[in-house]
Amino acid sequence: MFEKLTDFALKNRLLILVLGVLTIVAGYYSYTRLPIDAFPDVSQNLVQVFTVTEGLAPEEIEKYVTYPVETAMNGLPSIKKIRSVSNFGLSVVNIYFEDNMDIYFTRRLVNERLQEAKEQIPEGFGEPALGPISTGMGLILFYYLEDSTGTYSLEELRSIQDWVVKFNLQTVPGVTEVLGIGGYEKQFHVILHPERLLRYNVSLPEFIETIKANNLNVGAQFLERNAEEFIIRSVGLVTSLEDIENIVVKSDDGTPIYLSQIAEVKIGGAIRIGLQTHNGVSEVVSGHVIKLYGTNSSTVIGRVEKKMEEINKMLPEGVRIVPYYEQKSLVVAAVATVTNALVYGIGLVVLVLLVFMGGIRPSVVVALAIPFSVLFAAILMRRVDLSANLMSLGGLAIAIGMLVDGTIVIVENIERMFHEADPKESKMHIIARACAEVGRPIIFSIAIIIVVFIPLFTLQGVEGKTFGPLAYTVAFAMLGSLLFAIFFSPVLASFMMKRKKIKENDKNNSGETGLIKYLLLIYRPVVKFFVKRRSFAVGISVIILAIGAVIFPQLGSEFTPKLQEGTIALRLTMAPSIALTESTRIAQIVERRLMKVDEITGVVTRIGRGEVGAHTDPVNSAEMFILLKKPEEWVNGSNQEELQDYIRDQLGEIPGVATNFTQPIEMTVDELLEGIRAELAIKLFGDDLDVLKEEADKIAAVIGEVRGAADVQVDQISGTPQLLINVDRHAIARYRINVEDVQETIQAAVGGATAGQLFEGIKRFDILVRYHEEHRSTPEQIGNIFVQTPAGAWVPLKQLVTMKEVVGPRQITREDNQRFITIQCNVIERDIGSFVEEAQQAIDKQINLPTGYFVTWGGQFRLQQEANKRFAVVIPATLMLVFLMLFSSFNSLKNSLLIILNIPLALVGGVVGLWLAGENLSVPASVGFIALFGIALGNGMVLVTYLNQLIRDGLSYDEAAVKGASLRLRAVLMTAMTTGLGLTPLIFSHGMGSEVQRPLAIVVVGGLVTSTILTLLVIPSIYRWFSVAPIKAVPATTKEIK
Amino acid sequence: MKLLLIYICTFLLVMTPVALFAGDGHDHDEKSEQSENKKQDDHGDEHGDEEKIVTMTNEELVEFGVFLSKAGSGVIRKEIVVPGEIAVNSDRLAHIVPRFTGIIKDVRKKVGDPVKKGEVLAIVESNESLKAYEVKALMDGTVIDKDATIGEVHSTDMPAFLIADLDTVWVNLSIYQVHLPFVKLGQDVIVTLGHGQKSQEGKISYISPLVDEHTRTATARVVLDNKSGEWRPGLLIEGIIGISTSEASIVIPKTALQRIDEVDIVFLQSDEGFIPQPVVIGRSNHSSVEIVHGLTEGQTYVSKGGLTLKSELQKGSFGEGHSH
Repeated sequence: MFEKLTDFALKNRLLILVLGVLTIVAGYYSYTRLPIDAFPDVSQNLVQVFTVTEGLAPEEIEKYVTYPVETAMNGLPSIKKIRSVSNFGLSVVNIYFEDNMDIYFTRRLVNERLQEAKEQIPEGFGEPALGPISTGMGLILFYYLEDSTGTYSLEELRSIQDWVVKFNLQTVPGVTEVLGIGGYEKQFHVILHPERLLRYNVSLPEFIETIKANNLNVGAQFLERNAEEFIIRSVGLVTSLEDIENIVVKSDDGTPIYLSQIAEVKIGGAIRIGLQTHNGVSEVVSGHVIKLYGTNSSTVIGRVEKKMEEINKMLPEGVRIVPYYEQKSLVVAAVATVTNALVYGIGLVVLVLLVFMGGIRPSVVVALAIPFSVLFAAILMRRVDLSANLMSLGGLAIAIGMLVDGTIVIVENIERMFHEADPKESKMHIIARACAEVGRPIIFSIAIIIVVFIPLFTLQGVEGKTFGPLAYTVAFAMLGSLLFAIFFSPVLASFMMKRKKIKENDKNNSGETGLIKYLLLIYRPVVKFFVKRRSFAVGISVIILAIGAVIFPQLGSEFTPKLQEGTIALRLTMAPSIALTESTRIAQIVERRLMKVDEITGVVTRIGRGEVGAHTDPVNSAEMFILLKKPEEWVNGSNQEELQDYIRDQLGEIPGVATNFTQPIEMTVDELLEGIRAELAIKLFGDDLDVLKEEADKIAAVIGEVRGAADVQVDQISGTPQLLINVDRHAIARYRINVEDVQETIQAAVGGATAGQLFEGIKRFDILVRYHEEHRSTPEQIGNIFVQTPAGAWVPLKQLVTMKEVVGPRQITREDNQRFITIQCNVIERDIGSFVEEAQQAIDKQINLPTGYFVTWGGQFRLQQEANKRFAVVIPATLMLVFLMLFSSFNSLKNSLLIILNIPLALVGGVVGLWLAGENLSVPASVGFIALFGIALGNGMVLVTYLNQLIRDGLSYDEAAVKGASLRLRAVLMTAMTTGLGLTPLIFSHGMGSEVQRPLAIVVVGGLVTSTILTLLVIPSIYRWFSVAPIKAVPATTKEIK
Repeated sequence: MKLLLIYICTFLLVMTPVALFAGDGHDHDEKSEQSENKKQDDHGDEHGDEEKIVTMTNEELVEFGVFLSKAGSGVIRKEIVVPGEIAVNSDRLAHIVPRFTGIIKDVRKKVGDPVKKGEVLAIVESNESLKAYEVKALMDGTVIDKDATIGEVHSTDMPAFLIADLDTVWVNLSIYQVHLPFVKLGQDVIVTLGHGQKSQEGKISYISPLVDEHTRTATARVVLDNKSGEWRPGLLIEGIIGISTSEASIVIPKTALQRIDEVDIVFLQSDEGFIPQPVVIGRSNHSSVEIVHGLTEGQTYVSKGGLTLKSELQKGSFGEGHSH
């Protein structure tokens, strides 16, 4: 059957050629249109619903906003989880969907349900809106506005940001949102002096209504005059500060009382829940550009940068946009790392081919396999929406050496046949024969390499998303190389390779060329020696295995090496009760400390959050972007990690601030994952926050007693001081005041109330009515706010309410429609399964949870268990599949076992390689081991097939072993060296992202060394034990084998 | 031998990958997490028994704006703020009524003119006697109202002039029900126009025995010296009534107080560092507070910037950012 494929190719050479060219063209087309990212996007399929309700405490947000939104989302298809956070002034509901759902479809589903939710949210409590159409990788560019003149106020700069910069940037294709932060949003402030309200007897609601009633335009259809239509519009909008001042609030005895008599009107800034600072000296106005889902980061950034140049020209003299973070250089660097590795890899592979093939023509045929397979993979990548990134391109870099393996074997065989064959035999026939001889093992060995990657496809979560693309591209490229080997290499060989004139004296030399001739001089006696003394071969194998067994436990382990993004970010967490002014002061102290480090050229800090869409941090959290000199100018560290350590040292402990060094993308992704990092996470669900806290503390105490418990920690859910104003119903009854009147007064007087907007062209600014600072800054002053009774008398608030200072929740988190609190715990020196069992029993016995309260057990251990369970099935299944393939290829259990024997010895090489390089056992290393399986199996297969053939030809085992090994030396060495050298650029690369690829490459290269030794020495040696025929019946074997 | 080898190989083959996957993964993360948590524990997550000390160098105190003071005695003045109005001193007001109904022949003074006692304000021709007579000022003061026009017939049931002595004015303070029990005769009042404008001191000289039926407020009155004439009747003012003034042996600013776990504390400086000292609070006003227990004279405490110290104590419980 396999022969037929090759025959078909050889018979339709032109068709095949055309197809090949088409594939390459289509591949190139696809490649240039692949979206390019730095890393695979690991964020989950998530739709976020944001609702901003200014000034509302977490409890109210939860009750009025979060709950209706959350419940409306229940029952949508393919929902994984609904999680919500109710913060001060902000509700965020995260709806996680299954990964296979289309993002636009999920958004539509959510949006439909949101209409329901909107009806449930009381008037004035905010409009829920969907988050940007983006992912955790979407924050592609941050900038701030630099004012070199020093004359622009923060309000003016913010207006420039909101109405000029943002406006224009949002038109750039691929930009889904631009979020502003910092400075002050311009507002028109109407600052009330309460005693004047008393003096003129104007109540606060009346006052606000008056402003609203004096600010509108209307249209009144049209007028016909002289057969013409005149559109009638009546203009009554306030257009300036003076217009507001001249609003008549009341008329007393014919004397108009103007607004300016009661209040001051001035331009001011909106109340802030976040800002940005710069270098510890000033505040800055800033913007965050978010790219649209599925667009190409570097292209979008390029467009944004171009647009920025245009905008810079529009901006007032001295004001300039300064980008301080962009993902493009990261993307470029990450892609450069792998493309460099690819290019060097290809170069090295070609070099190997030239040296071993001893001719340019066959080398070209083999080398062509690389572009073909890579471009073939590109076509498939585009089909399955895989972006070009560090991991997917990394997969290609890994595969480079393997891509040529199949073709090498074929071409090498063709070449050998050309030498050996009868000069009268036609060229085509020889090629067909050569292909037929090795076709089957090639197909199987490549198929096996693809199959061994199956376990990687079953990885879930972050690892799955990180390494999935790698597995895909390897599989795609290998498939391409298979097609090339079967169809294209014979055709190309027929066109390009020439039969050499055979000299008589060369005949015994089997046409071996240059280098191989000398290698054989050494190799042949060695293999003979091994074949004679099998115990020696076994001994060596056992020793190698023993070395592996000794070294293996010494390897450290880590999950995934951290991807270095090239930008250092520092996250500060301050006291939950901290005020924005204080957190700004502290952040600037930290900024000043950082600025003392030589390598740091600037620091830009975001405190709290700006416009809603990306960040939800409260004001006690700050994120610092540390801007660095070029790496060449670093003195105190040669790479990011070292420099980061140095900066950490220089920074020292910061009193009252928890610090955490991280990176921009890492930070966003962590934020979206909201995962729990501890092994064990017990979630206690229930209604009452106090009860939750109390019971959680009890559970923590019980768990702490269980043997093996470490780092038991209960979530801090409270810590935000509140001034709780309770309306005294009896008191208001005496004055016949409604609760609403009291509440509205409190809201407007203390927090401010919006009384319409002022338009300046298309710009619109809120008109905010609020008491003068002197009348609302302390609880005493708030107590003195006056409320007018229906009878017209004025009553101070103190007489109507009770005020209490309490500590409230800092935020309320919910999952699956319920409030919860988490108790985290790690387990040491004991098996986690038994620990959980014991802990569960202890809790059941000692803690009596109130009705409606329950616990769930989860955490990393659950994920790990699930992953292990999955692997426990998938890996043996894969091995079974491999074994079946081997078996169906050889029809022999023993042969299959001999080939599988390759695996453990190859693994040892990988382990030793890791140990020598000082790397840990990690997920990428495991991926390397998987690749190693395939390669080792492939090598073994080709050799064993050939040995079998020689046996069939009537040679004795020992003769066959020596002859076969010698003949296959070139092929085995070449495939090993191409694969190994193809990977070496990754080992020595220090580029962006190389830290993830390195362990993988080391494992494969290390493993190749041992597995090649095994293939060349041990397999021929012990072949006779695993051969298909009885040992003694040597001469008769050929006939018995079918 | 052969079988054994086959067995070993198969075993290795099956076990190695399983071990690889089962073993790799989260160990490293856990380790770092553990050490992080340990560190947090060192900072003291559980409050109570263990001694908790925060150390900061002098440079850090300056850098982070932490100020120290020595505990000592002080005065706590409790105040309430009430709205009020400047009114004419009714005790120093004269209604000038023409003795007989008649035609006003001449008006000599207009509103705002200062007058002396006995000065002629207007000439009226009596309807009965048809004689002109002089209407004179009854006291020194200022004409604050006038209802006299030449030629009109002025009756005797209405004053033609109001003369007030504006050297003193009344400050009528509205005392609400909640404040009423604290307001006493003789208490000091600072009368102020607010917003950094003029202010002047006075004493409460009268408290109305009734509460106004309409406004439900009682009136407390201060007679204010107004030689300058700036306290114009009709002005709205704020009165800050000192309802009690007391000496206390330890008085500290309110900025020194911090709350940890519902307990008030003050950070005390000791040789090892700063210790959170629970204190019992006595009387207080908007800015100062008396410490009844927990602080002794001469001790050095943190008077401002204590949040930094409190944060440092509780740092371990901040968690990672805002999530989970």
